[in-house]
Amino acid sequence: LGCKKSLDINQSPNYPPVESATMETLFPAAVLSTAGRVGGDLSIVCGMWAQYWTQNNNSSQFRNVDTYDLQSASAFVDGPYTQLYAGGLYDYTTGLALANTSKNYRYKLMYTVMKAYTYQVLVDLYDKVPYSEAFQIGTILQPKFDDGYTIYQALIKDMDDALSKDYRTGPWTDEQRATDFVFGAEELKEVQFDYWEKFANTLKLKMYLRMVNAKPAEAEAGIRALYGANAKFLDISAQVNLFVNVPNKSNPFFEYNFRRLNTPDNLKASATFTSWLDKNADPRAKVYFGVDNPVPSINQGDYLNGSTHPEYNDAVNVVVKANDPVPFISAAESYFMQAEALERYFGGAGAKDMYDKGVAAAFAQVKITPPASLLVTYAYPATGNFETKLEAIITQKWASMFGSHGLEAFFEQNRTGYPKISAVYSDDPAYIPGQIVYAPNGVTGEGNFPRRFVFPDSEVRRNSNTPAAVPITTKVWWGK
Amino acid sequence: TVTSQEDKLPIPGVSVKLVGAPGGAVTGSDGKFAVKAPSSVKSIQFSFIGYITQTIALTSSSNVNVVLTSDSKGLNEVVVTALGVNRERKSLGYSSTVVNSEEINRAAPTNLAAGLQGKIAGVDISNTSGQPGGSSKVILRGFASIGGNNQPLYVVDGVPINNARPGGEAPVGSIGDLTDNYDFGNAANDINPNDIESISILKGAAASSLYGSRASSGVILITTKKGQSGKLKINFSTAASFTQVSIVPDLQDQYGQGWGKVNYIAENGSWGPKLDGMNRPWGSIVDGDQQTKSYSAVKSNFRDAFDTGKEFNNTLSFSGGNDNSTFNVSYGNVYSDGILPGKNDTYKRNSLTLGGSTKYKALTITGTANYIGKNTRSVQTGQATSGIGSSFYEDILQIPVDYPIKSFQDYNAKFNNVNDYFSPFSQNPYYSINENGSVFKSDRLYGNVDFKVKATDWLTMQFQQGADLNNIGVKLFNAKNAPIAGSWAGGGNDEAYNRQASVGNVVEGSERYFEYDSKLNAIFNKKIDSDFDLNGLVGMNFNDRGSRALYTGIENLAIPGFYSISNSANDPTSTNTETHRRIFGMYASATLGYKNYAFLTLNARNDWSSTLPTKNNSFFYPGANLAIILSQAFDLSAAKISLLKVRAAYGKTGSDTDPYRIYNTLQRANIPLGFGNIISPIGGVAGYSIADRLNNQNLKPEISTETEFGGEIKFFDNRLGIDATYYSRVTNNQILPIGVSPSTGYTTRVVNFGKVRNRGVEIAVTGTPIKTKDITWDLGYTFSRNRNVVLELPDGLTSVDLNSAYNARFVAKVGQPLGVFEAPVPTYDPQGRIVVGANGFPLVAPTNGEYGTSQRDFVMGFTNRFTYKDFSFSFTLDYRKGGVFYSGTADLLNFVGNDPKTLYNDRRTMIIPNSVRAVTGANGQVTYVENTIPISEANFNANYYTSQGLATAYQNRILDKTFLKVRDITLSYSLPKSVAKKIGSERATITAYGRNMFTWLPKSNRTIDPEVSNLGNDLASEFGEFRSGPSTRNFGLSLNLTF
Repeated sequence: LGCKKSLDINQSPNYPPVESATMETLFPAAVLSTAGRVGGDLSIVCGMWAQYWTQNNNSSQFRNVDTYDLQSASAFVDGPYTQLYAGGLYDYTTGLALANTSKNYRYKLMYTVMKAYTYQVLVDLYDKVPYSEAFQIGTILQPKFDDGYTIYQALIKDMDDALSKDYRTGPWTDEQRATDFVFGAEELKEVQFDYWEKFANTLKLKMYLRMVNAKPAEAEAGIRALYGANAKFLDISAQVNLFVNVPNKSNPFFEYNFRRLNTPDNLKASATFTSWLDKNADPRAKVYFGVDNPVPSINQGDYLNGSTHPEYNDAVNVVVKANDPVPFISAAESYFMQAEALERYFGGAGAKDMYDKGVAAAFAQVKITPPASLLVTYAYPATGNFETKLEAIITQKWASMFGSHGLEAFFEQNRTGYPKISAVYSDDPAYIPGQIVYAPNGVTGEGNFPRRFVFPDSEVRRNSNTPAAVPITTKVWWGK
Repeated sequence: TVTSQEDKLPIPGVSVKLVGAPGGAVTGSDGKFAVKAPSSVKSIQFSFIGYITQTIALTSSSNVNVVLTSDSKGLNEVVVTALGVNRERKSLGYSSTVVNSEEINRAAPTNLAAGLQGKIAGVDISNTSGQPGGSSKVILRGFASIGGNNQPLYVVDGVPINNARPGGEAPVGSIGDLTDNYDFGNAANDINPNDIESISILKGAAASSLYGSRASSGVILITTKKGQSGKLKINFSTAASFTQVSIVPDLQDQYGQGWGKVNYIAENGSWGPKLDGMNRPWGSIVDGDQQTKSYSAVKSNFRDAFDTGKEFNNTLSFSGGNDNSTFNVSYGNVYSDGILPGKNDTYKRNSLTLGGSTKYKALTITGTANYIGKNTRSVQTGQATSGIGSSFYEDILQIPVDYPIKSFQDYNAKFNNVNDYFSPFSQNPYYSINENGSVFKSDRLYGNVDFKVKATDWLTMQFQQGADLNNIGVKLFNAKNAPIAGSWAGGGNDEAYNRQASVGNVVEGSERYFEYDSKLNAIFNKKIDSDFDLNGLVGMNFNDRGSRALYTGIENLAIPGFYSISNSANDPTSTNTETHRRIFGMYASATLGYKNYAFLTLNARNDWSSTLPTKNNSFFYPGANLAIILSQAFDLSAAKISLLKVRAAYGKTGSDTDPYRIYNTLQRANIPLGFGNIISPIGGVAGYSIADRLNNQNLKPEISTETEFGGEIKFFDNRLGIDATYYSRVTNNQILPIGVSPSTGYTTRVVNFGKVRNRGVEIAVTGTPIKTKDITWDLGYTFSRNRNVVLELPDGLTSVDLNSAYNARFVAKVGQPLGVFEAPVPTYDPQGRIVVGANGFPLVAPTNGEYGTSQRDFVMGFTNRFTYKDFSFSFTLDYRKGGVFYSGTADLLNFVGNDPKTLYNDRRTMIIPNSVRAVTGANGQVTYVENTIPISEANFNANYYTSQGLATAYQNRILDKTFLKVRDITLSYSLPKSVAKKIGSERATITAYGRNMFTWLPKSNRTIDPEVSNLGNDLASEFGEFRSGPSTRNFGLSLNLTF
């Protein structure tokens, strides 16, 4: 009947077949997934918990965040998870397989590091996530969850494997270089893979530092090994800096909160952060909040109290621009981590230098030259004890992670306890500027801060291997 | 010889009985009979099903010529069954309902679905919007397919036509996805109801299976009017009506503009102080001026915001012919301007039909060609894309109850314009309907040509070719505007708020649909002997259809007011989507009749579909049905039973799936951010991601199995009739994408999935309580009850999401009806008291609670027609009981404090009734103590929005779906023939009519007509609505003239 042939018309004319996937097209897609979520809603949520900004009392978009009331089904919990797995990580995994098959060690390193970074974010947020059984489509529909430490070890091993290959020679076209949204810029042409190596080393450093509470011996061994091998760390930011003020092509924080919400005024300056900037007369206030003197601001999470705080109506706005980059690891962060590592394991030699470089990089990234007086204020407490130094390092790191890097500030607070938790609310005369306060409408009970995300709904409902629910206030495996 | 009064043709099979003596005969194919009558016999009785029985006094003449008159309520009704074959209704072993032209067009509807509402058991028809030309949702015997199409197949004169809803082809969320925001009507609604002769509804598998896989949700068979031999007949019908909003939300009238009991003037809500009727300033302050008015609720505020629309509906047709050839020509024209002020909600339709048939010897050729030109302008419903433009319905809901909505109509005036509008949280609703909009144009051509050759007296060969081509152009546009910095809306208000700028956009789209359908049939009809006859057909069918959609858009206009793709600093973005599918089918059907009272039908079809994997693309589905007319077999006239028929049917239908669900694909990187997206290319580099849907190379066809039993009984010379049906249909191996754990790399996967069962009863009662020369009173009542239940879900899943909005989900769960609502609920302590947090607001439970199902308890319809001489009065009631829906309108009204439900406790400071707080003791033990923390009146509003009041908010957002409507109400007067003749008319009728004139809703829903939905017209729309426009009613006059 010849009908067999006439019925063979079921290849989609709208989408290319999966077999046509290449390393060159998967990588940029996957990096945008990571950047879109890490620098978008995750930074909005976790930056709220790091108390850079708070919910405007006259609107309600992020009230559930400012009350720590994020359920499994919340788009804040489920959305990033879904995109990072089904978007980012699956593309990294597929691209990595292609790189392995074709022995393209350049892409292998790029894919491995970005995959490790993305998993690290997920582990640090959700504590346990699927790893060993993830992406086994056809055989495993309900992957088991692995604990964070196991995943960390696997990621570090993967990076070591990628670093052990020859990723500096071999063909590499300008077109391929352009697919590298992190270090693919023309001016980095000669040093592109030096930077991927540094990114890998710095990411390993970050992961070892995360382990200092839970796995102190392993953390120390890992960091000593890095230094022993004379590892180079990032001196520029590993970031996506290609965003422009065009719809659908902007910084994700901007696109989400400023372009696509019904009002660009949902987020307002939190008194926690502005009080600290104000106390130090830090000129970054102008960049972060658009004004030299960021007052008035709203006490963190105090949106129901507008009637007794008429000044809340005039609270300053948060400034995130359409062309702001999304950092994965910033130069400042790299220096601050090195300072901490030197203090922890190497007697502090060179820590002050790294701290100063960190502060300088933090100002450089917002294109401000810090006044000399401020550098005195922020001077490294070289004579202080370890905790004093760590507090200075982490506090400066916190002050540098405003915007699309806010997620990391939340992690670091969970790891180190800095900025400190305040004994009183920020409207109390005894309040010490910059200390974290418990949001007055919090649903977790006074003093029970969010320390993680609960398991996302799309696993809870579709994967019977999802572990039993753990409250949002329980620290993740590496938490302090 | 026995002949028929109607067509003067001989009637075979008439039973001829001698009165008062045994013996009789049956007429032959020429209508002749012979019988030997003893002299004692004085008369002979002639009876034939569907004809009035006649008794003739026997004369000495040996030749008796009898003319039987058909009984209009009888059974000889010839109905169009599968594949356009005419069969006598009596021989059908399944429920079949026919609605004729007059019934459909009684209240001059512009689409056929509106003409069927409330008139047929087992059919659920909703008008999904008040937009002129908007879509209808037609569901036969409940929802069965979770992920597929539940719309019936529309067949016109034997040929399937396209019923797509434009804007549904492009990928979800792309610029070509218009599903939630623009309703340009489903394609079946294009048909001019005046061109329809009759509609048969085939609900069950037994009836529809020969139509193949597309008929698995039933078939609407449309027979169009044809020319008849005789003199030229001219028909003219014209109708003009007014359109008004029908149901508008009830608004509270106690509290005025403001928030937290304070008159923040910039607020878009009614959470202000108590209304006191005093004269006060209101609204924005412009150049130091402010307007003054009484501080009281505006009466009928919402309703008065709308206009009265108008609708004109005209059809002119000519028909005629001779013994060999007939023709018909019809021109129809609809113009409708909806309820919004201005011309941005209009519907124009021109339709032209040409039909003809001619006979040459054994060959009959019939052909029809229809052209439909449509021009629709529709305003946006649903959620506007923030930052691009605004939507009327979202804005109007946010106007405080004491602000006269209508006063904003002059949207350029002081206090009303972009800079001055009182709230920076919303926009002047009249701005969007005047400055934003859409234009939809379509040119559609469909028709068929049919060749029949009568090969022998028992065999006819038929070839039929149909085509349906639709070309659509769509343009959407939103104006660019932003308040000047420092103006009232630009931050110069009492809350220093800035209104988000609207950057404007323009989208140009083109959609093309095609469908070609060919079939070849051998139709036979053979009398085997005096007891048995056999008829049926064998045939094959090839269907080829598809679509193309291309949409291109820009946002951020460079030059305001100029709507062209080139007018932006941004590059345009495009999306193109093609679909193409083919199906090849072979089928056979045979009916064996025994003595004209028992009929057994067997049928079977095999399909080969392009959308299934090659190895599984062939599927076979048989069916059988039996009808026995007991009243023919036995004489039941003593019991006053004029008809008693029982029927039973068993059948399967097979169904394929959407195209392109077999092979996995990549997709251009498009990263959803929560709000907004990042779309590749970025920095001049393209990114492709593995698509999130896991396709399936092992798909099998969906098979439904249906059993149906029914019966029909008529008493008292057909004055009372009851038709009852019970059915049970199990749909197996449904194909749909279900959610999958994202750590597999996918978010959905296409599977053959579970089982859904629909069971139900349908009862139709007809009666004629009064029938005299001058007065006739006809009644019709229908009752249907469908119960569906999900019997199985795959992979041990307990539920599968069908749709959602915010935190409410519409899910399928095992053991429950298809479509259960799940949404947040409060946390309760073991004693059932609400647990509140430190601020006194209820805490949300970790898992969602259930809020009911979308499934109705039952549906009833009631038609009534009272005729007195030349007057006729009719009405149709439609009552649908039970079920719930989500209302996005209620969501916004609760948020802004306009909903009467927000008046709880007079909005005073209060402690949540019967609430407790959890206290954790030193040993970690949790105890519950009475809650003493009040919610202050300043924060009372937060109870009603999902951010703070999430635990209880959904109680006010998921509403009862029950309604009772008067679908149509008509009063007609037929001019006396003598008067009609004076204007050269054979028949002239003038009718006053109303459509959807009255609607009753239950107390718990005073918000919106549950019929409306902007979420399409299939299962997803059962979720409810998201800020749709109100429903409408029409009333007007029509005139029908026949020359």
